[in-house]
Amino acid sequence: MDEHLLEINQVSKKFCRRLKRSLFYGIKDVARQTVGLPITTQLRPEEFWATHEVSFKVKPGEIIAVIGANGSGKTTLMRMIAGIYQPTSGEIKYRQGLKVTPIFALNVGLRNEFTGLENMKLKAAIFGMTEAELKRKLDFIIDFSELEYALDTPVGNYSSGMRARLSYSVAIATEPDLFIIDEALAVGDSLFKTKCYEHLGEYVQEKERAVLYVTNRIRKVMALANRVLVMRSGKLIQDSQDTTGALEYYINDIVGDDMTERVKEMKLKKIRHFEM
Amino acid sequence: MWKFFRSIRSWWYLVKQLTLVEIVGMYKKSFLGMAWMFILPILAVIIWVILNGAGVVNPGETDIPYPAYVLLSTSIWGFFLEAYKSTSTILTKNGRMLIMSEVPFEPLLAQKIVVHLINFIIPFAVNIIVLLAFGVRFSALALLFPFSLAPLLLLGMSLGMVVAIFRVIMVDVANLIDEGMKLLMFLTPIVYTPKITASWLEVIVHYNPLTYLIGFSRDLLTSGTFYMPLHYLIFSGVSLIVVAVSFRFLLKSSSIVLERLINN
Repeated sequence: MDEHLLEINQVSKKFCRRLKRSLFYGIKDVARQTVGLPITTQLRPEEFWATHEVSFKVKPGEIIAVIGANGSGKTTLMRMIAGIYQPTSGEIKYRQGLKVTPIFALNVGLRNEFTGLENMKLKAAIFGMTEAELKRKLDFIIDFSELEYALDTPVGNYSSGMRARLSYSVAIATEPDLFIIDEALAVGDSLFKTKCYEHLGEYVQEKERAVLYVTNRIRKVMALANRVLVMRSGKLIQDSQDTTGALEYYINDIVGDDMTERVKEMKLKKIRHFEM
Repeated sequence: MWKFFRSIRSWWYLVKQLTLVEIVGMYKKSFLGMAWMFILPILAVIIWVILNGAGVVNPGETDIPYPAYVLLSTSIWGFFLEAYKSTSTILTKNGRMLIMSEVPFEPLLAQKIVVHLINFIIPFAVNIIVLLAFGVRFSALALLFPFSLAPLLLLGMSLGMVVAIFRVIMVDVANLIDEGMKLLMFLTPIVYTPKITASWLEVIVHYNPLTYLIGFSRDLLTSGTFYMPLHYLIFSGVSLIVVAVSFRFLLKSSSIVLERLINN
């Protein structure tokens, strides 16, 4: 593993386009596995590669933006790294004892009829915290979320921004070595988002940590990333530390065809003249 | 099975929090609140007293008053059925959490069992009072009653874990088994006694493991005797093996099933 936190080697994942066929393959695979037979790693009818032969390594201190059009395999890749999905083929190696915290949807596990404080406890438990750990970090969570005034309010009465602040603050309090953020910072007020960007920048510098985040927003890539991975149709087609160059490539070659020349020019201008 | 206990240990705080949320959340919007835990068993007794009084049911000879017999038997059956139901829905009910976070299914399974036990204990305490009112007297051996329920819990969980997989990839099988459970209740001596005389039913009752697992617990509580102890021990051993096999099946199949939860 040398100095890397994470090493992804030729990782692929396949899915099926049709629901009933997918369930049929599920039955078949469960049956084969039960009797000890291998499951095919080849594509069957109606199957496609959600990610295909993706390889890269993650070093401490890196904040990697993963960009790509819808359906390019970003979330599937993140779910495999988080250990939620098993790769169809390939291998994911983690540095020994690496702590990974993924956030895919900020609302998961939140209960509307319970208060902000009760939901902080529940969310902390979902992120794998122990009671003692939460006790130590509760002040940080309340402070970072800026929700002290609404701790006794049912979360059902929270705005989407408040919910995002609650969940994000709990997630960051888990102090992971690898933080996976999948579009989780898409909601919330801009002041809080800026605070998060600054915090993440400091966070990866403090210890041997890294951040992998999925986004398609130029501003978020420019504000935060020091490396960009561009995905297209399940494949990793660019891996670059030149964030401006990677974004220009993404706009020109990947999504450019779906834009008018004016929009394209605007976006490229935004990249070239970006200011925080 | 060690993986199960290791996982529960590291996710214990989640088990605790989810249990709290489910128990409190169940009654949070109700005006009568937790009083429902007492009202439902009392209603069940009233229904069976009325049915018995009207002569609608002919249960055969029972050692204790019929309503008390049915109340106890249905409670024990309910214990088995709820173990099945709560286990068989762990993947579908928690689908979003399972594919959006790192939470494995083991703490969710443990939480369901804890909630199930809590939901059983309170109404059961009411049932004990009702049984006393019907003149049932308990011996010291009745203290072993809670432990005698363990095989039923394991058997319910075993079936539930297998059905949990089918509920995602082959819902037809899960639906059939759900319906089959209703039939199974009538093929088990719950509202009638094992001394039933209908020949075809007698054969089924004889080969039904629940006859012995439920009968043993019931007789232990009401008369302090052991109903068919050898059969009970054999089926207890079987339930222990079956739960280990079912857990392994769920564990091995979960990765295949998880990626199909998106369809739920």
